Amino acid sequence: MNQTRPAIVLFQCQYCLASSVDQYWVEHELPANVKLVKVPCSGRIDPLYVLNAVQGGADGIMVCGCMPEKCHYKEGNLHARRVLAEFRNFLHLLGYSQERFVFHWMHIDERGVIQSLLKDFEEKLEKMSPPVHLKTRAFSRENA
Amino acid sequence: MTNTRDQKIQAEARRLLQDGVVDVVIGFTRGTLPYRMQPCFIQEADETTCLEMNGLCSNNLAIYLNHRPRGERIAMVVRGCESRAIQALVLENRHARDALYLIGVPCTGILDLQKVQPREQDAILSIQEEGDQVRVILSSGEKLLNRSDVLHSACVHCNHPVPINADEIIDEPGLFEERSFDKSYLDAFRGLTLDERYERFREEAERCVRCYACREACPMCTCEECFVDHSRPQWTDSTICPAGQQAWHIIRAFHQTGRCVSCGACERACPMNIKMTYLTDLLNRDVFEEYGFEPGLDPALMPPFLTLGQDKEKFTAQQEGQHAS
Repeated sequence: MNQTRPAIVLFQCQYCLASSVDQYWVEHELPANVKLVKVPCSGRIDPLYVLNAVQGGADGIMVCGCMPEKCHYKEGNLHARRVLAEFRNFLHLLGYSQERFVFHWMHIDERGVIQSLLKDFEEKLEKMSPPVHLKTRAFSRENA
Repeated sequence: MTNTRDQKIQAEARRLLQDGVVDVVIGFTRGTLPYRMQPCFIQEADETTCLEMNGLCSNNLAIYLNHRPRGERIAMVVRGCESRAIQALVLENRHARDALYLIGVPCTGILDLQKVQPREQDAILSIQEEGDQVRVILSSGEKLLNRSDVLHSACVHCNHPVPINADEIIDEPGLFEERSFDKSYLDAFRGLTLDERYERFREEAERCVRCYACREACPMCTCEECFVDHSRPQWTDSTICPAGQQAWHIIRAFHQTGRCVSCGACERACPMNIKMTYLTDLLNRDVFEEYGFEPGLDPALMPPFLTLGQDKEKFTAQQEGQHAS
């Protein structure tokens, strides 16, 4: 089990990567263990999407959005931050460690950061044992 | 059987209907079972004599506002939790406060039938409240219980039994006076390890039969269409499988963040006796610690998820934590 690389779900706001090189990398050259969910704005990320990723067996969740005041839709990221931060606390209380759920609010100057962020996150997840809680959907599929 | 509390409620309801202040009075009357109370909708002044209020009124009446026609002038007999639910719904622009007349009754707490009836083979024939005690007549005999022992857990942990922002308060003694936000009973749950917390949650959620009685009983579940009823796209499993049961309990609770008034109507409606108010109470406690917000108390303060704040202090701390890790 431990030989496989941790499954990561990346929720990415389509405006948060200012560099087209980074955006191309995210869309075409992501490692196989990272699943991209591209959304119009981080405010569009419903807690249910995150929960579906967790139940489907994601070892880690990464949310990439824009800095405050840099949102394309003015304040979608402010909403996302309040709601998702609380949802992370809630999942932590119910058995999905908060270290598996990270946010990165990208600065407009940042270039080539997303690659290293994902790599660091993956290394961090590899050190932890795979999550066993709330992974209900993946489990039932294996049994089916 | 009519006590002074009921007489005062009836007199007030009669006055409102006779003077044409309201079109309908929503309150409780006796149900078909001897220990059940049911909501009633009274439109004639002569019918007000059936109105009663006691510890067996387990529903939250605020839900019926969502089902009444627009423009109707409504009077409602409210306890603390109902008045807070109405306050929260008014804040969300679900109802106009001007069209409502609230007859406030200081709450004496709601009885938990599970605690009254400990053995399954016993049938409850009658329940009478006598001050601090409750006389229960079971098929196996009669017993006298302390009222405080058989209160519903949501009422034991209630902070605000006195109605808020009511047009009139029926002057009778309630359960206790107001107290500031106290959810210390959650410390035990928060003190558990990750595995134990999940285990506790899993045990409760796996009994769920997906009847959605909790949703129907909840005054704050006001969505036109619930996420579990969608079939295209299907947001989550709709069958009785662990994934679907857990998703329902997690998302149902999360939709109540900073909105739940902790009335416990969901738990009382549940046919499987699933504990679920601890989920919303955990979220409410987070919201209180983070934003100092308590649902339904302040008529001017908007819920934190409906307002957008920069949260500069919290955000910079988060960002620093990221770079450090």
